[in-house]
Amino acid sequence: MFIIAISIVLGCTSPLLRTEASTSGIRAAEEVGAAGVPQASLHLLLAKEELEKAIEFSKNDERKKAESMLLRSEVDAELAVALSREDTEKIEGRAAVARVRQLRQDNSPTPVNPL
Amino acid sequence: MKTYSISILVCAAFIAGCAAHAPRELVNAREVYRRASTGPAAQVAPAELHVATQALDKAEKSFKEDPDSYVTRDLAYIAQRRAEIAEATASIIFEQKGNTLAKKDYQEMQTKIVEQTKQDLTQTRTALAESERSGESSAAKLSVEQDARIASDQRAATAQTDRIAAENRALAAQAALAKLGEVKNEPRGIVVTLSGSLLFASNVTTLLPAAMARLDQVAEVLLNNSERRLMIEGHTDSQGTNSHNLQLSQGRADAVRSYFIQKHYRANLIQAQGFGETHPIADNSSAEGRANNRRVEIIIERDPTVSSQ
Repeated sequence: MFIIAISIVLGCTSPLLRTEASTSGIRAAEEVGAAGVPQASLHLLLAKEELEKAIEFSKNDERKKAESMLLRSEVDAELAVALSREDTEKIEGRAAVARVRQLRQDNSPTPVNPL
Repeated sequence: MKTYSISILVCAAFIAGCAAHAPRELVNAREVYRRASTGPAAQVAPAELHVATQALDKAEKSFKEDPDSYVTRDLAYIAQRRAEIAEATASIIFEQKGNTLAKKDYQEMQTKIVEQTKQDLTQTRTALAESERSGESSAAKLSVEQDARIASDQRAATAQTDRIAAENRALAAQAALAKLGEVKNEPRGIVVTLSGSLLFASNVTTLLPAAMARLDQVAEVLLNNSERRLMIEGHTDSQGTNSHNLQLSQGRADAVRSYFIQKHYRANLIQAQGFGETHPIADNSSAEGRANNRRVEIIIERDPTVSSQ
């Protein structure tokens, strides 16, 4: 919805402001679940705000500010993706280690009760 | 590495010269970059760190040209994020390596467990097969023993049935013979005593017609027990000479034997013997006594399967 809204807004602004990289970055972050990872969700939010600011600058004919803000939005979206992936890998890593431990435990010889 | 060193020197120069005037974004970028470049990212995410270096260089250049501009702040902001991305990428790679190792470890353990399980299964199968073979051998032995026991039981039951049937036949024969003459149960067998006057005319060895009817009845009973040995004994009173009486008694015994053979009793099972006057059962001085002494005795051998009473 956010992406669609941004596209509509852009239709009414300068046609030269290229927001594709930012919007696709935001979409990618959403698709990898950035909204569910605390640090990633922060940067996803920043990316969206920065995109909105860029559009505002563009509306106000502050083109250079708009382009600069778009770069910030892009990099925040990219960081949101990286942080999401990092979180996913950490979760998978913990699960893999737990599986190994469980397998070791399940197949270790039963300790003999000294009593 | 050369690029990193130059960047670090540039950063250090700017920090030394312009620290007081550097915008907050640039200060943060420098700090995060320093952390990233000295951390794992330098080893495992050099490409991302290189991008961060370039971003910081641009920010520093901008700061040098226009320290207070939004461009400098935005470039510094971007440089900080690039450094953070390098750190995150390094962390991802680190985690991925750990995951790969854990998965490999897991697979190796699984393989080992499967191998061990296969070995255990093989041993269990071998033991089970051995146990089954042993069980089959025991079962076969048990079956033979059971068959032998059943056969033995059947034989015992058959023998018991035969014995009961023989006893019943003996009792029936005894009852039937009792109607035909005097019947005594003696150690030598069942003795049927037929009066000589009923069988023979005086001083002859030819059976009377009436005697034949009586002997037919006896023969009928005997043929129902046709496996028994028979002894036919002829006896006379004391009148006349011994030799004559002996000859007369033998002739009468033979006559009865022949009659039974004629009635299909097996000849080899019948013996006949005359005793003359030597085995009196009554006093020969009276007519009644002499009549009792003139007799034919049929001794039916005991059934060996029937217990003696």
